[in-house]
Amino acid sequence: MDIQHVYTKKRSEFGRQVIFTDRAVESIADIPPNPDLSREYISRNPVELAIQNVREFSEHWVNTVRFETENRGINHVEGGWPKDINPLEPDQTSRFRKKTEKEDGFTRSMLSLGNLVEHTIKQNNIVDIYENYFQNLEPDVVEEAPYAKTVNIYRDPHKTRRAANHISWYADGARKLAVSYCNLEFQSGTNDSFIDSYIWDTENPTKPDLHLKPISPLVCIEFNPKDTHQLVGGCYNGQVCIFDTRKGSTAVEQSLIENSHRDPAYKTVWLQSKSGTEFFSASTDGKILWWDTKKLSEPVETLILDIEKKGRLENALGAMSLEYESTIPTKFMVGTEQGRIISCNRKGKNDAEKIGNVFPGHWGPVYALQRHPNFLKNFLSVGDWTVRIWSEEMRDDCIMWTKPSVHALTDGQWSPTRSSIFFTTKMDGTLDVWDILFKQNEPTLSIQVVDEPLHCLRVEEPHGRLVACGSQNGTVTLVELSDNLCVQGKSEKALVNGMFDRETRRAKILEARGRARRDARGKSAHGEKTEKATTDGATLESELKEADPIEKAEKDFWKIVDEEKRKRDRKAALAGEKAAAEAGETTQAEEAAPATAETTE
Amino acid sequence: MNDIYQQPFVVHDASNIINETIESTLEHQLYQKTKVNLWTSNIVETIISALTKANKSFKYIASCVIMEKNGAGLHTATSCFWDNTNDKSFTIRWENTTMYVIVTVYGLSI
Repeated sequence: MDIQHVYTKKRSEFGRQVIFTDRAVESIADIPPNPDLSREYISRNPVELAIQNVREFSEHWVNTVRFETENRGINHVEGGWPKDINPLEPDQTSRFRKKTEKEDGFTRSMLSLGNLVEHTIKQNNIVDIYENYFQNLEPDVVEEAPYAKTVNIYRDPHKTRRAANHISWYADGARKLAVSYCNLEFQSGTNDSFIDSYIWDTENPTKPDLHLKPISPLVCIEFNPKDTHQLVGGCYNGQVCIFDTRKGSTAVEQSLIENSHRDPAYKTVWLQSKSGTEFFSASTDGKILWWDTKKLSEPVETLILDIEKKGRLENALGAMSLEYESTIPTKFMVGTEQGRIISCNRKGKNDAEKIGNVFPGHWGPVYALQRHPNFLKNFLSVGDWTVRIWSEEMRDDCIMWTKPSVHALTDGQWSPTRSSIFFTTKMDGTLDVWDILFKQNEPTLSIQVVDEPLHCLRVEEPHGRLVACGSQNGTVTLVELSDNLCVQGKSEKALVNGMFDRETRRAKILEARGRARRDARGKSAHGEKTEKATTDGATLESELKEADPIEKAEKDFWKIVDEEKRKRDRKAALAGEKAAAEAGETTQAEEAAPATAETTE
Repeated sequence: MNDIYQQPFVVHDASNIINETIESTLEHQLYQKTKVNLWTSNIVETIISALTKANKSFKYIASCVIMEKNGAGLHTATSCFWDNTNDKSFTIRWENTTMYVIVTVYGLSI
């Protein structure tokens, strides 16, 4: 309380004699006690008091308003010259310079300034502040819990709700993301919905870098790995189109609608070719079409996914996902809507030769299919509520699979850097990181990214540290993983290889046994060749038994235990003899004792 | 002797101020021992600031007593030795269902 009162008083009034008189007593309050009121109160005994010797904190959170930034250029002209000198005229400036140099204080001020500058420069140069200490030492591996944090969230600036259903990273570093948005709900009837898809710059989550304006919403989008300005998009109406980021927002080329798919083109993948202009697309209408960007009026090749190899479109399975590895340019795999996985060969003369193995797959559409980047014989597929890992050698069953989860899985991908890690997204908005070397019954890390279903995910290629996930509301979240999820350990590749081999072998043995048993049952009715089958089975069994280290270890253990028991009995017997025998026999026993001691040793 | 320096302490102005202060602080409140400190200091400070704003040449003393109504009795009295013509004191007694409030203000001329 800061009150000030300023007053003036005449000097003659200071120290004036006061005239004080007594004032009578005045009673201010006279409240009699009132027992009725006291009856309102009762005594509390005991009194409980909770004390905690900690500092009191209060929690507040603040979400700052999004700061809109825009990049602008500045034109900087030379300044600092006195008004009458035109900086563009070289003789005027040189004249001015010479005039200043001739001034008196010039040399003095230059010397003093020079000293100052010299001092600062010397300070700078003493210690190399950019030196990396311990550069040659390898960092200690610290076992910390894996974590992931959201780096950026890219929200669809448009109000209508569309799912982000495919993401593609810029091929040259993690600077840009292309996201395709499409409302895939059945008969959602969106005439006036926004059909643009965007290219986002990872640094700017407020505004997309580029709007792509196709004719119909894009179901899938991919950057061309060879020419980073080109993108291919599969449309909802079955067409495919090519975009060029240098040439603006509309599609540069579009396929003729008569020759395109009859259902949305769910996946388009660029092919490895010399020109870098070929790609192929798959759709649920049962066809796989190969295209060349130079001529999009009709496909180069067509494949009808009829597994009975008769080429009938009515029998064809609808394709949901494609798998293509650029190191094996002629083979590719298709995941179908019916759940089967078909391995195909492009180099076939007709459809029958093109379609290879058919794997049983999942109970529902196969949403994602990818070969392991290091072990090309194994691939993972995501569909229904599980993730299955297959080996190309085993056509009947997968070699590894996850426990069925509560929510349906929508997308999956191997980590490009760590051999044992793969990522999946689920319908409840969680991103799961599975490490098959660490834990196989549940994900190693499960992050709730958003509250609505996540539809797609894409790991950033060379480093494997950033994961982009797209959700039902059109929100793309960029998640960064901790080091121990992207840096590979030394023996990890070998361990994963070993695991895949073991599982493949196990599956093979199980299959062989099953086959043998079936043959035995079938042929025991006829009574011929049963011995061969059983011996086959027996040799396999004995192989298994021999290879069983646990039994061997057990046998060894009991052997050792029995031997020790026998030694102990022998010693006891000897001790008994010694006690019973007289001194005459001691020499004999003594001789016997070292002999037995030798034998036991 | 200049009359300006010896304006009497105007009582009814002060009583208005005091009444308003008490009402604003304690209107509809129940006695809470955690807040009583706050109330007494608030009342006294407000009264003094209001009185000094009038810019009169007086020394002011304000005291406030808040007593919970629980059956006890309270008796207070004052007596002063001062200049009877120019100095005045004033008391306000206020109560509600749970407490008694007694505010006394003394104005002593400078």
